[in-house]
Amino acid sequence: MDYQKLAKKIVQRAVKKGARQAEAFLEVSRQSKVSVREGQIEDLTQSTSKGVGLRVVVKDRLGFAFTSDFEPSGLDLLVDQALKLAEAAAPNKLNGLPGVKELGRFGDTGELYDPAVASLPGDWKVKAALEMEKAGRDEDSRVTTFNAVGAGDFVSEVYVASSEGMTGGYSGTYVYLYALPVAAAEGQLQKGYWLDYKRFLSDLASPESIGREATRRAVRMLGAKRVKTQQVPVLFDPLVTASFMSGVARAASGNAVHQQASMLASLQGKRLASEHVTLVDNGLLPRGLATAPFDGEGVPTRRTPIIDRGVMSNFLYDAFTARKAKARPTGNAKRGYSALPSIGTSNLYLEAGTTPPEQLIREVDRGFYVTSLLGHGANPVTGELSAGANGLWIENGELTHAVQEVTVAGNVLKMLQDMDGVGNDLQFRSGTVGAPTVRFRQLTLSGE
Amino acid sequence: MPRASAPTRRAPSSQLAPPAVRQPSPAPLLPQALLERLLSVAMERGGDFAEVYVERTHSTSVVLEESRIKSAQTGLVQGVGVRVISGGKVGYAFSDDWDEPALLRAASTAAMIAQGQGSERAFPVSRVAVPSHYRVPTPLSDVEVSLKASLLTRADQAARAFDSRVTQVNGGYVDQTRRIAVANTEGRYSEDTQDLCRMSIQVVAQGKKNERRTGSYGGGGRVPFTHWATFPPEDVGREAARQAVATIGAVDCAAGPQTVVLAPGWSGILLHEAVGHGLEADFIRKGTSLFAGKLGQKVASELVTVIDDGTVSSGRGSINIDDEGTPGERKVLIENGVLKGYLYDSLNAKLMGQRSTGSGRRESFRHLPIPRMTNTFLAPGNHHPDDILKEVKRGLYCATFGGGQVDISNGNFVFEVSEAYQIEDGKLGRPVKNAILIGVGPEAMKNVSRVGNDPQPDPGMGVCGKNGQSMPVGVGLPTVRIDNVTVGGTQVG
Repeated sequence: MDYQKLAKKIVQRAVKKGARQAEAFLEVSRQSKVSVREGQIEDLTQSTSKGVGLRVVVKDRLGFAFTSDFEPSGLDLLVDQALKLAEAAAPNKLNGLPGVKELGRFGDTGELYDPAVASLPGDWKVKAALEMEKAGRDEDSRVTTFNAVGAGDFVSEVYVASSEGMTGGYSGTYVYLYALPVAAAEGQLQKGYWLDYKRFLSDLASPESIGREATRRAVRMLGAKRVKTQQVPVLFDPLVTASFMSGVARAASGNAVHQQASMLASLQGKRLASEHVTLVDNGLLPRGLATAPFDGEGVPTRRTPIIDRGVMSNFLYDAFTARKAKARPTGNAKRGYSALPSIGTSNLYLEAGTTPPEQLIREVDRGFYVTSLLGHGANPVTGELSAGANGLWIENGELTHAVQEVTVAGNVLKMLQDMDGVGNDLQFRSGTVGAPTVRFRQLTLSGE
Repeated sequence: MPRASAPTRRAPSSQLAPPAVRQPSPAPLLPQALLERLLSVAMERGGDFAEVYVERTHSTSVVLEESRIKSAQTGLVQGVGVRVISGGKVGYAFSDDWDEPALLRAASTAAMIAQGQGSERAFPVSRVAVPSHYRVPTPLSDVEVSLKASLLTRADQAARAFDSRVTQVNGGYVDQTRRIAVANTEGRYSEDTQDLCRMSIQVVAQGKKNERRTGSYGGGGRVPFTHWATFPPEDVGREAARQAVATIGAVDCAAGPQTVVLAPGWSGILLHEAVGHGLEADFIRKGTSLFAGKLGQKVASELVTVIDDGTVSSGRGSINIDDEGTPGERKVLIENGVLKGYLYDSLNAKLMGQRSTGSGRRESFRHLPIPRMTNTFLAPGNHHPDDILKEVKRGLYCATFGGGQVDISNGNFVFEVSEAYQIEDGKLGRPVKNAILIGVGPEAMKNVSRVGNDPQPDPGMGVCGKNGQSMPVGVGLPTVRIDNVTVGGTQVG
């Protein structure tokens, strides 16, 4: 089926039936994944999915409906539902689709699609998963079991069409490996977690390296204990930094800022951190997992520094919020077919510094190297962060014993000011958010 | 004593009504002959078991922002998932195309997990009657969207009228009418209609010097739309506003071990995290939970009895049948501190020589069923809540909660406290900010030293995430005191 044509047809039908503006967002995907256990396949899943969301504006009133039913009767119902919702909605002059000025030319994304991933045989994934499991066990005999070990791929196509002249589509591929071993010693169980997630098969780490690293991360946590309540320098490993930075980016949502419901609301142009802190959202990052020519409503994506060399520089906008806040859309309308666009990040990353992570540790007398956080992270309104933390204790510049059952707490704005080291080890480990190791001068650690 | 002001009308878990049996509704999601055909194709390579799962979900979602309805939307998602089990291996395929060739393709894809020879066996199924723990005479999908939107507008007005320091109110209402059908090669074929709704309100209040505080409240369940007459949206708005305003001027939370008292209701998240996940059979079978191999052992204070109950009338986590067609159940997990049982789906039950406890749930046809909680409660004790508080010389009163998370292997769990007060000489003192509790499941449960006689279910807003699948759940707890809990905060010494 020609989905680009179908998206246009849905828009035309909506306009014919009375919509002043209409936009169809259509997604088609297929996925295949496998998990293994004790040298055998545990489960194998294959699927195809599709769906379309229709947004209409009638006399400043907004309606939205979605369906996965592409039969003519299903699509008729979709148009009727969206129009019916618009009739019942309250008018708002700000409602409207991105127009010619906002749509503009798409930037250069580079390749998004890897034929090698699209045609990856099922056997490859089974073999890769088995290799990860074996390597994980070979690395250390204290690994007694796995929560999960698996591999998968995902191929998706996105099409957008609108009455305002938007028409476009792209296809992308994704491939991933993950291993979650559990190590046991002296009645204690500790899990490890390592993964890789890429668009291109040639960028993907080897299954063996994933399995071994996951095991190392589990085993090094054995013997974990609480430490005393105290204030010490704290380091976040790249995975933990990535989740911390996602929290900062949530507060940079133009909508939260406009509502004064963000810790960053009145800080545009102000210094938040030292010169070596640059946090970027980049929808055009070469080979990035979230790279795309346009966002969920057809607005071209771009590179937007949120914190630029320590200064709060830009907030993120979709078209509606930009209109409301009298700002420019930044191409950050995120969505699937079953939801209206809302502001979100594309490829988000803290730019790498120049210091090797080992040196950031070596410079610490007594401190805490955090390898995982428990909880939902910072409150984007108040900036308060209080989270459970697991990791390793630092004594005289060396990693010593494992630590668990403690919390770290602080305020995000204060933490940004206190960030006195940024590692050179930027990595996109868990997908669309990338970060290096970072160090904070001092955080409160709660324990014994 | 700070308490959620909204009334709850659901019965506590200990009061169970006998389940009524409902006649199967007449119009099946897929013709029975097609279900049987799909089962037959799914078994063409000689699997041990096959199942067809059919789902059609109508949903509505309304968003309020800055005192306006920002958007209202409806949607339909439908699909079929076919699962084949061969030995311990699972093959799964799903499709959102309902035409016969697409469904047959899914069945033969799932069949490939088995390596045997083809055979054309028939697998007849017959319709099984299911219990009825929720009654929604008018499906939520048939209720006018404007009525749903007006709930939010009313909550917004009440929240803003509550206090002039309220600066921002955001709200959301979501509902779904979800029909499922499950047929398997054991001959069972069941259908259920699962209506579910939830509204939630978030409030920002502003104190002096740009201090911002937040409050959040909501409710719902497997209830008809008339629920909102007895659970008025105004109460939801006022409670969210009350939380935000009450915490203005909160002081830094002291870090380190403290005695804590948990308010009843929503604090049940503690059980969900500290105990519940660790008792799910997939973690037990794989030996990745610290509760594995501990049946019959003491894992909590003898004041602690934990129940997972899928049969609570109208409960958010209630299920007439789980997503494998097994009826929902009431299960005692911990009785007077002793571990009594785990939560089983059918696959883990089979591999472990047990029976399913009706805990096999899935977010949608796009997912495999896995063991999940339903409504998880702590049974009431004998202590009066006022006495529990009076006995504490110094400690922390945890009034409302953000959420929690657990690492089921080392047992570390956290519990985010969004509204807390210092306890001084048995009385509530100043509000504290940025508090979190951390502990190791069984150790924390052994430190439970008082259990109140005031059981209370949460108002119906819990969402639990596991393996990337979100699931509605209920929790509940009476007032509880726990000694020597590590409280995370910023204040040292």
